[in-house]
Amino acid sequence: MDSCLGIITTGDIDFNFGVLCNHRPVYMLPFGGRYRLVDFAISNMVNHNLSTIALYTGEKINSTMDHLGNGEPWDLNRRFSGLFLFAPMVEKDQGIPLGDISQFCSTEEFFNRVKEENILVRHPNYLAKVNLTEAYKYFIDSEADITLIYHKSKDTEGKLVNCNKMYLDEESNLIDIGINLGTEETFNHFIRMAFLKKDVFLRLVKESREKGDPKFLIDAISQYRGKLKINAYEFKGHVESIKDLKSYYDANLNLLKEDVSKEVFYEGGQVFTKTKDEPSTYYTDESNVENSLVANGCIIKGKVENSIIFRGVKVGENAIVKNSIIMQKTQIQDGAIVVNSIIDKSATISEKVNIAGSSAMPYIVERYRHITND
Amino acid sequence: MDDKVVAMLLAGGQGSRLKTLTSKIAKPAVPFGGKYRIIDYALSNATNSGIRDIGILTQYKPFLLNSHIGIGSSWDFDRTFGGLKILPPFTSEDGGRWYTGTANAIYENIDFIDNLAPEYVLILSGDHIYKMNYQHLLDVHKENNANVTISVLEVPWEDTSRFGIINVDRDKRIIEFEEKPENAKNNMASMGIYMFNWKDLREYLIKDNEDENSSNDFGKNILPKMLDDGKRMYAWVFEDYWKDVGTIRSYWEANMDLLDEKNTLNLYDRDWRIYTKNKNLPPQHIAKNSIIKNSLVNEACDVKGEVKNSVLFSNIVIEKDAKINNSVILSNCVIRSGAEVNNAVILEDITIEVGSKIGTKNDDNIYLVSDEGILIE
Repeated sequence: MDSCLGIITTGDIDFNFGVLCNHRPVYMLPFGGRYRLVDFAISNMVNHNLSTIALYTGEKINSTMDHLGNGEPWDLNRRFSGLFLFAPMVEKDQGIPLGDISQFCSTEEFFNRVKEENILVRHPNYLAKVNLTEAYKYFIDSEADITLIYHKSKDTEGKLVNCNKMYLDEESNLIDIGINLGTEETFNHFIRMAFLKKDVFLRLVKESREKGDPKFLIDAISQYRGKLKINAYEFKGHVESIKDLKSYYDANLNLLKEDVSKEVFYEGGQVFTKTKDEPSTYYTDESNVENSLVANGCIIKGKVENSIIFRGVKVGENAIVKNSIIMQKTQIQDGAIVVNSIIDKSATISEKVNIAGSSAMPYIVERYRHITND
Repeated sequence: MDDKVVAMLLAGGQGSRLKTLTSKIAKPAVPFGGKYRIIDYALSNATNSGIRDIGILTQYKPFLLNSHIGIGSSWDFDRTFGGLKILPPFTSEDGGRWYTGTANAIYENIDFIDNLAPEYVLILSGDHIYKMNYQHLLDVHKENNANVTISVLEVPWEDTSRFGIINVDRDKRIIEFEEKPENAKNNMASMGIYMFNWKDLREYLIKDNEDENSSNDFGKNILPKMLDDGKRMYAWVFEDYWKDVGTIRSYWEANMDLLDEKNTLNLYDRDWRIYTKNKNLPPQHIAKNSIIKNSLVNEACDVKGEVKNSVLFSNIVIEKDAKINNSVILSNCVIRSGAEVNNAVILEDITIEVGSKIGTKNDDNIYLVSDEGILIE
């Protein structure tokens, strides 16, 4: 895939995540015990030999810079190519303009300079371990201008309402693309991942910018249906669309299913992240852990069930953690009870404090908070 | 460290008493403590002590050690100037040869040290498990205006015949060396950690090389010679956890020591981390109805059975109804359903088949399991 450039576009809508996204963009949300959401997108591309990857960071840039740095964990710290981080362009007096089109426009020189002739654009809040080598081959062999990647999603509970829905003809060419309202149980779910020829991409971006509309690449693609050869490639694996707290919580707990964790963590390449040099996790004689994912550096003295425990977490004696996500370096002290909750990093839940949400709406504790009984 | 110190880490040891543990790798490369290799302790101590320049002297089966250390980035030794260099034996106009002893290994690399022009040279061994701030050793060395300062440790009296014993006066100035004495006068043993003034060490290395009768060893030749010449030699007493894992039993014991919460080799101390090459593996999965008690478990393990008082390295599968007790299991092993493992050290990539049994709960043996079979110690 030498001639394909990877683009991670964010254009984030982060107000669906409450305090979890006060200080970080959605793609920097901790995920799966030791990762950030963006790790999955980057690793997937690196595992399919994309050697130039650009990320549009969005506004809350600090955690991004700290985590991605020069791209070393993904082997993207190359002399040439490698990882490029693009901070948002700010227009005089108007702040950051809406949408990713203006951001692409502001980095036009980058696209002109790189030698790659095709582009993979993806959204990091969709988790899908796509066999990109195969999908890229389909894109090239079908001589399409654009290949959209979709998943035949089944949704009986309305979890995927407001996701993108596609209508395709028999040869998988795009007829229409719109918003899923849940009228059908199974639909073609566009997972915000697409291959484009670079010249087509630049044409779309420039024409949209000149007309002032649309603001988002996906809308631009939709407007050009019929004018360009746009087809679709079906991804048959596990998809998570992380668009709010509930889907974020569910996506984490889905990793407790063996087939899901096999696919996400092991099959088709490793997931890379910034490493932390934590020792192994220690379980005491009194600990009682079931059906959980536990990262390194934890000390578990209490009971943990159906939960995701991040690096360096401490669970005290007689403490109970159930159906919860406990992020890095958080302490659950002796006798505390945490059920159906998401505890952000470096928080402290004091002795004998009880906190509980419901599985429909998990209780959230902001990072660095100290929760006491008073 | 404000003073210029170059560390020279001796990592060529074979560790033959570790049997199949070192049949393919040097002793410093032996895995330890769930995710480390023995050499990580000395390397991490060096970087945590503020040492910037370090030479690693390799000789015996160095391949895995070399790939583990790489350019030293795990320990922050990948520097634009100085940093970490691996120093294997080499050939010159006079022909090539192996390092003939610990002192010879340093002698052969005098150019490397001269290039860095340090004031002090710290000699380390890659065979031991301990946490030490070498800055303390340097402080004492400077206070005493010493030519060499040796880190010493109190060992049990019955073990004195295995060590180099050091006798000191009231000011901790060294007055006598006893190499593995039958009846030791005291129980202070050398830890093989020496802080030298480079000027002095350089002079003695050259003299030692000219002496045809010398076995080119620090403990046997260099240090006694300096004492004979009346050099200022001091001992500095180290009073924390230290383990020389010389045998399979002591290797097993040292791993078990980590399960003791009172153990002062606290791996969770964020101010003195032990670094290692990271494999970037997923979290461990602890299944429903599994049992884990008093154990260390590392990344990518999948535990469905029972694990008690054990150290599990990475990517290990413990199937349902398998039982692990008092054991050390290295990476990528699979323990099949119904198998029972007691008091064992299982080397990498081994599968323990369905229903097989190693050891019993109450026996005193240690079982070393490798692809060459089971050794009992």
